[in-house]
Amino acid sequence: MYIKDLYAISPQKTHDGSFENGDWLILNEYIYKAIEPSYQDIIPNAQLRRMGKAVRMGIGVSLPLLERNAKPDGIIFGTANGGLEDCIKFLNQIVEYNEGTLTPTNFVQSTPNALAGQVALLSENMGYNMTHVNGSLAFESALLDASLFFDEHKEEEKSILLGAVEEISDYNYNIDRLGERFKQELISNNELLNSKTNGSYCGEGSTQFYISNNPENSLAKFTAFKQSSYLSQNEIGGFVSDFLKEQNLTISDIDCLLLGKNGDVSTDSWYQEVEQLFGEKPKVYFKKSVGEYRTVSAFASYLAVQILNGKAQHLIENGASAQPHTILIYNHFDAIRHSLILIQK
Amino acid sequence: MAEIVVTGMGAISSIGLTIAENLYSLKHEISGIQKAKHFKSHYSDSLVFGEIDQSDESLLQELGLEKGLGFTRTTLIAIKAFREAITNAQLSLEDLASTRTAFISSSTVGGMCYTDDLYHDANMQGKPSEYVKNYEGSDHALQIVRLYGMKGITDVVNTACSSSANAIALGARLLETGKVDRVIAGGSDCLAKFTVNGFNSLRILSEEPCKPFDTNREGLSLGEAAAYVVLERKADVSDTKKIQAVFSGFGICNDAFHPSATSDDARGPRMAMELALKRADLKPEDIQYINAHGTGTPNNDLTESFAFSTLFKTVPPFSSTKSYVGHTLAAAGVLEAIYSILSIQNQEVYPSLRVEEPISDFPFQPTLKYTPEVAIQHVLSNSFGFGGNCTSLIFSACI
Repeated sequence: MYIKDLYAISPQKTHDGSFENGDWLILNEYIYKAIEPSYQDIIPNAQLRRMGKAVRMGIGVSLPLLERNAKPDGIIFGTANGGLEDCIKFLNQIVEYNEGTLTPTNFVQSTPNALAGQVALLSENMGYNMTHVNGSLAFESALLDASLFFDEHKEEEKSILLGAVEEISDYNYNIDRLGERFKQELISNNELLNSKTNGSYCGEGSTQFYISNNPENSLAKFTAFKQSSYLSQNEIGGFVSDFLKEQNLTISDIDCLLLGKNGDVSTDSWYQEVEQLFGEKPKVYFKKSVGEYRTVSAFASYLAVQILNGKAQHLIENGASAQPHTILIYNHFDAIRHSLILIQK
Repeated sequence: MAEIVVTGMGAISSIGLTIAENLYSLKHEISGIQKAKHFKSHYSDSLVFGEIDQSDESLLQELGLEKGLGFTRTTLIAIKAFREAITNAQLSLEDLASTRTAFISSSTVGGMCYTDDLYHDANMQGKPSEYVKNYEGSDHALQIVRLYGMKGITDVVNTACSSSANAIALGARLLETGKVDRVIAGGSDCLAKFTVNGFNSLRILSEEPCKPFDTNREGLSLGEAAAYVVLERKADVSDTKKIQAVFSGFGICNDAFHPSATSDDARGPRMAMELALKRADLKPEDIQYINAHGTGTPNNDLTESFAFSTLFKTVPPFSSTKSYVGHTLAAAGVLEAIYSILSIQNQEVYPSLRVEEPISDFPFQPTLKYTPEVAIQHVLSNSFGFGGNCTSLIFSACI
């Protein structure tokens, strides 16, 4: 699967491309809010007003990508939660008005497939259309779906708009805070990995890729990916080395590691386990940029493509080596669901 | 492409807690849509629902699960149907734990089914509820993955009312491309204030039990269900007696018209049916029965009928089994797939119940009575959802 184009709205300045060109925002907040561009020129005002944040950010990334590329044959999204703000606004109405007469806008906007549906509608695309809500593996599931699509259409040139979106609302922030997923104290993203406490900080955003089975003029490719749930910590090494073996690769073939370390002392040891496997390698801890959220591996993939193309070099720790060719991303959520994504030039 | 077959089925709905009970009700025209016994809502008295007649407590007990650990009703009914499907397909615990086994589920309300607990947690009103880590749409699937130690590919899709039809298609694609050797696919959705109020705000709920394809239809009845099928490649099934039906093809597309209504020319529904026929290498005249999406809303039944009229020279027998169970949202696609397979196995058509005056705009009408002894080789099953998601599936008799 060849990546032809990509765009992201994130808590860093990806919306105008300055992040990958060296810009770095120090984030000193509990919530890493996405920096949204002005949507005035891309989304009609009447529609914009009705859109929840997830749909708005998603459309805000989709439309520019669709404008500069040919109409894709499919639209595939991953999102753990979709438009949660709308969802819980509607829920609050249900409870506070004791199930009285309610307006449907929040309900319709809250369904996780609202984004893929809206993109299809706005771009008049009747092609394959799918929304994966597989929790913290939702983007990986979208990747799998895209790879099946290309497997089924080997003879013809095909393209897909593939992406992920997640929004922070006060409500899901509350839920995850009660679930002890976030830190109580405040430190900056620069210090995130020195933290000695549980939890992390919450991020959000939408990352999308225009991918094709034609390698011409591609920026990079999704070579392979793998998921698993409920591994034990002593299985993680085997999970990674089996994956490399399946791809006929060895440790030395990996030029750069992108790791999902998020400053949570109770689960960061899983990443250390994987780091040890690889010894001294250039590394990027991508959650220092955007925080923790369920489809953050899509953002990690975005970074990988930028790094493979000579950009975002300021994020590489342990010294930048020669231009990397092969990047491995390892991410887990709650140490329950694990994913590996291999991206190559 | 490899031939994909169904080797196991499990279902729980308002017309039965097992496949056998569902079949009995279908044959005897017993509808499950009535006043709710277990579901508590402002609308419990004024509306009717396709409610599963088993309480959460009874489900917990039957499944041997402890109370207080975050098992939602979505999860409980999912586990029950999942268990029936894997038993029916004679899958061992080793099979389930194998990395060559995939699990593809779906849900719309997911873990958000207890609206009041969610309200409490989302607004931080005191101590967290037992469900604070179980609100995601994928929670029911993750619980099953944990309970059965599943190590292979898992996925959960949400394309609203076509969700589990897409889960089946995705499962078949994983088998066709050789990614896995067996798939359990389906979905689960339980009644929740969230969905009841959502559909009510759109003014598409019927006060009386729904009557799809009737001129005076007033909307849909909401139901709850969970159902799963086990899919395998035919070439891998050594005991051919296990084969219940062939999954011949599917079509997936988007209507690209409106967030919550179907286009007047029904271009999406028609395209989904055409794509399914193409993939199954069949012509419209090869279809002997259509299990329609047939929600009972004015918009759906009219546009779906229009799509039939443009695609088929002679429209084959069709009906909406939502007249038995209501609209079970994410579970509807797989439940109706199972009813389609039962139609093939028993060579009979289960009718659209309660139709008094069939829609008069077309020269055809749904099957109104239980009809045995119908030669059925291929069945088309439709599922269309909010967001424009259209999916058609084709199941065939195994020869």
